Amino acid sequence: MTTLRAFTFNFDICYNNYGIPFYLQYLAHWPEYFIVAEAPGGELMGYIMGKAEGSVAREEWHGHVTALSVAPEFRRLGLAAKLMEMLEEISERKGGFFVDLFVRVSNQVAVNMYKQLGYSVYRTVIEYYSASNGEPDEDAYDMRKALSRDTERKSIIPIPHPVRPEDIE
Amino acid sequence: MAARGHVQDPNDRRLRPIYDYLDNGNNKMAIQQADKLLKKHKDLHCAKVLKAIGLQRTGKQDEAFSLAQEVATLEPTDDNSLQALTILYREMHRPELVTKLYEAAVKKVPLSEEYHSHLFMAYARVGEYKKMQQAGMALYKTVPKNPYYFWSVMSLVMQAISAQDEKLAQTMFLPLAERMVEKMVKEEKIEAEAEVQLYFMILERLGKYVEALDMVRGPLGEKLTSELQSRENKCMMMYQRLQLWPECNALSYKLLLKNCVEGPVHTTVAEAVKFVVDRMEEEDKKDSRPLRGPYMACLELIHRLRQRGCPDEEELGDPLELMLQFFGKFGDKPCCITDLKIYLHLLPPEQHTQFENRLGELVPLGEVGEDGFGFPGDTKALQRHLCVCQLSRVLGLQHTLDTEGKLCLITELKAHYHYGLQFGKSCLKTELQFSDTYCLMVAHVYIDLWTETGDENMLWQCLGVLEEGLSYSPSNAQFKLLLLLLFCRLGAFQPVVDLYSSLDAKHVQHDTIGYLLTRYAGSLGQFAAASQSYNFSLRFFHSNQKDTSEYIIQAYKYGAFEKIPEFIAFRTRLNQSLHFAQVRTERMLLDLYTEADITSSLEESVKAMGLCPEEDDIPWDNMRDNRDLTVLFSWDPKDRELTEEHRRLSLEEESVWLKVRSLTLRLLASLALLGHAPSKRNSDKTNENGVSAKSSTLQTLLSQLDLTLQTAAQITEKQTQYPFLGPPSSRLASALSSGSCHCQASALQLSLTLQELETTGLDDSSELQTQICNSFKSLIVQLQELLSRCKGDVLEMKDSRLMTQPSLLETLVFFVETVCVVLWVASYSASVLRPLKSSLQKKKKKKTKDSSTAMPVVLSGFQEWTGSLQGIVTQALDHVKGQEASLTALKLAALTLGVGHAQTQEECGFTRAAMDKVQTSYLGSLQELGDLLRKRADSLKSLKF
Repeated sequence: MTTLRAFTFNFDICYNNYGIPFYLQYLAHWPEYFIVAEAPGGELMGYIMGKAEGSVAREEWHGHVTALSVAPEFRRLGLAAKLMEMLEEISERKGGFFVDLFVRVSNQVAVNMYKQLGYSVYRTVIEYYSASNGEPDEDAYDMRKALSRDTERKSIIPIPHPVRPEDIE
Repeated sequence: MAARGHVQDPNDRRLRPIYDYLDNGNNKMAIQQADKLLKKHKDLHCAKVLKAIGLQRTGKQDEAFSLAQEVATLEPTDDNSLQALTILYREMHRPELVTKLYEAAVKKVPLSEEYHSHLFMAYARVGEYKKMQQAGMALYKTVPKNPYYFWSVMSLVMQAISAQDEKLAQTMFLPLAERMVEKMVKEEKIEAEAEVQLYFMILERLGKYVEALDMVRGPLGEKLTSELQSRENKCMMMYQRLQLWPECNALSYKLLLKNCVEGPVHTTVAEAVKFVVDRMEEEDKKDSRPLRGPYMACLELIHRLRQRGCPDEEELGDPLELMLQFFGKFGDKPCCITDLKIYLHLLPPEQHTQFENRLGELVPLGEVGEDGFGFPGDTKALQRHLCVCQLSRVLGLQHTLDTEGKLCLITELKAHYHYGLQFGKSCLKTELQFSDTYCLMVAHVYIDLWTETGDENMLWQCLGVLEEGLSYSPSNAQFKLLLLLLFCRLGAFQPVVDLYSSLDAKHVQHDTIGYLLTRYAGSLGQFAAASQSYNFSLRFFHSNQKDTSEYIIQAYKYGAFEKIPEFIAFRTRLNQSLHFAQVRTERMLLDLYTEADITSSLEESVKAMGLCPEEDDIPWDNMRDNRDLTVLFSWDPKDRELTEEHRRLSLEEESVWLKVRSLTLRLLASLALLGHAPSKRNSDKTNENGVSAKSSTLQTLLSQLDLTLQTAAQITEKQTQYPFLGPPSSRLASALSSGSCHCQASALQLSLTLQELETTGLDDSSELQTQICNSFKSLIVQLQELLSRCKGDVLEMKDSRLMTQPSLLETLVFFVETVCVVLWVASYSASVLRPLKSSLQKKKKKKTKDSSTAMPVVLSGFQEWTGSLQGIVTQALDHVKGQEASLTALKLAALTLGVGHAQTQEECGFTRAAMDKVQTSYLGSLQELGDLLRKRADSLKSLKF
């Protein structure tokens, strides 16, 4: 039993990884892309946050998953899939060509989950995640899933060569 | 400041290097370059502003400000100057000056869309809603674009929200906003979804639910497309407000089967029961992953039916069986405990043991080994077993065990913990161990034993087990939080610093859990750490103000109108935070205690802080308690849980303590200013007025303090006990019982009497002088009593047991703080008495050797007083030194651990490490306290005549 509701900006943000300005920016610009899941006892189970961007003319208009997070005790319930489905539907409505996301190459659990949800690796972005405490920067997969507007599924044809973060839009 | 378009303008080219220097943080060069440019081009105003930015950033605020004002008074209309001034004012935290700037600019260039828009945003930053409304309209008249019109409408809504008088909102602002939107609707000018959303907001706030519903269901509602189910959710909200249950029901049914939403609203109980039963049956038949919803809905429905006294619940089944069924299906999920916990009250107490046993049957454990325990074969079985353990604790079954039973439970849980570690061998450092929760539960049982029996060994072992847990699972925040709490209760703050920083608390957490740190840092005498932890919190609060304003503006730009009140409410909530007020106050008090009359005089310190005794910036009536008081996991049964009453009492207690502290701070500020005004002894009229105004502030604050201390006494009489994992008690009770509050109050009261003596003079004041001397003596008695309450061993070994008395440390801190206050009063006394004495000597000389006049009582009394003060400080220093010596001499290695407590060698090692940390921390506190006392003792020397 889960309540999915719009993110209201109060102390929902208590346990998170980003700074307040980051959340405010998304809420001010793409409030519809911010959804939280709440348990019957009021516990925050997880949330998704995203945006719409890209040029329509170049068929690059798409939904982007900025953050998806599920609290440890609410994992393996299919919550992430549900939240992703909602983000995809919003992107469909906005006439996006695809949905994309970045994920750490090492995060095999997440990569597999996204594959199950119909995403495929579009390209590798070199050293996308800057590491702290002296460890090396980590590569990201740019994963995509075509939406119905991209009838020929052109947007997801993989790019074989890795790209650098400064070369992506 | 980076992007600036057209390069053609020669001024742009000239200014470029200054921008670059500023961008690179090379402020000095920026200033030089600006000076150079200004020599050639005197009227290049922007260069002046850029120089001011450089000055501001190098700490020359005053210079920067006057330079900026030179340009501002010219009312510039060039983009460069305006933008640079905007940046400067923002850095100066003077956003209100930006409004003045653009007010002038739009007057001069009335057709500029850009300047009008900047003016609107400038008003938005300072929350001037009325002016925003006008600016939005002016903008729309200049450039008739829809968003501008609706900015103005939204500003009306904000006026309604912020109106003190709800009637004004309902009869003026909102109707006006409604009419403005209706006008656009009639003219068929509505374009964007945001406009429809705003219309809905207005209708809803006006209570016009029928109209709102019609609007959402009508053609305008078709624009509501971005958010999922935006129209449906809005309809649902209105149906509920209008109590249109059939419609509500139909829509929820539709939505529920499509999506998960909050429980449906049904017209009859029978229907509801049937609906839920049907869903469960459907779910049972499904092959795919079962959903928890239908089964929980069933329990929820029973709960609600019971609340209403409906008999139909039997048709849903027996809660015990339903919960067992739920556990059977979802027992291996970590959320099972969270799900079932809220419905346990459906079971009668006599069923609890039966429930636990039946649950146990559903847990597949291996064969019972030598130690008498069977263990789970995989993580799913482990999760099930863990869930049963947690449920048993929530049901209170662990609490009812006797000491022996609890110790056995500990052994069992520990065995499971250690066994379960094998499943997590491949876990990353950032992941939790599957069996971590066992370890945490062990700690909780130890805490039960400690609080029930007072046996400190239980506490030491608890620390050991948590330290061990942390070594296997270094990211477990619950371990860290509990360790942090226990160390604090033990009065050992040093280990807490690392624990807290490894929690990596961010942003809002500085408000929600910062209290764990700030409650103890100062009170345990770790002044450096205290100062650091106040800074963490303060930095967050200060940046919040600025950050939020920027995004309020963004929300206007993108038409996210619904978010604007949310952002503002959030900002307000932080600004009115109890914790914010506490750290603000404590930070300043700490600075005074550790610096005033050491590195600079009290007066200088007070001035540097900008402290004004008349000002009270704490929102006493709207204080928000943002503390997360349930941040620590707890499986305590309902009757031991934190209640609303606890929360209320804790806030009350903290508020009163804050009041005591803030009044003390303001009193110290007014004491500092009493010493100020050196010309006052010339007794010219104006100065006398000034002085009497100051002393009347002192008088007012003193009587407020007196009242507050009376309230405080009433509160501490209640002796409220909070759950162990709930809020820590405030310092109020120990402050009162130590006598420090009253001693400080009488010292400050004395300064008032001294002030009187200053105006009366020595000649006709024998009564006053006796009164002062009595106060001197009484203060000594009070200090002596306070010091005697500090005596004792903070840590000692008795019969191979380690015993702590952390309250001694806390009292010692109160003593040191009180000594500081008394010494400031003493130095004020000296400043009053010294000139009186010297004028007396002058008189004596005149009277030529009529030396029979004795020294006035007050002067001899003062000398005696400073002598006694010196004596007390020396005694205190001796005590501190003695404690340091005995702590250092304490050889913890000599303790035999683990005997009779089934602690392994490894566990003993962790316990010992925890003991070491406590010992070191105590030493650290004593050193800091000793240092401060010694420094303050130096200031005593200067008081002798």
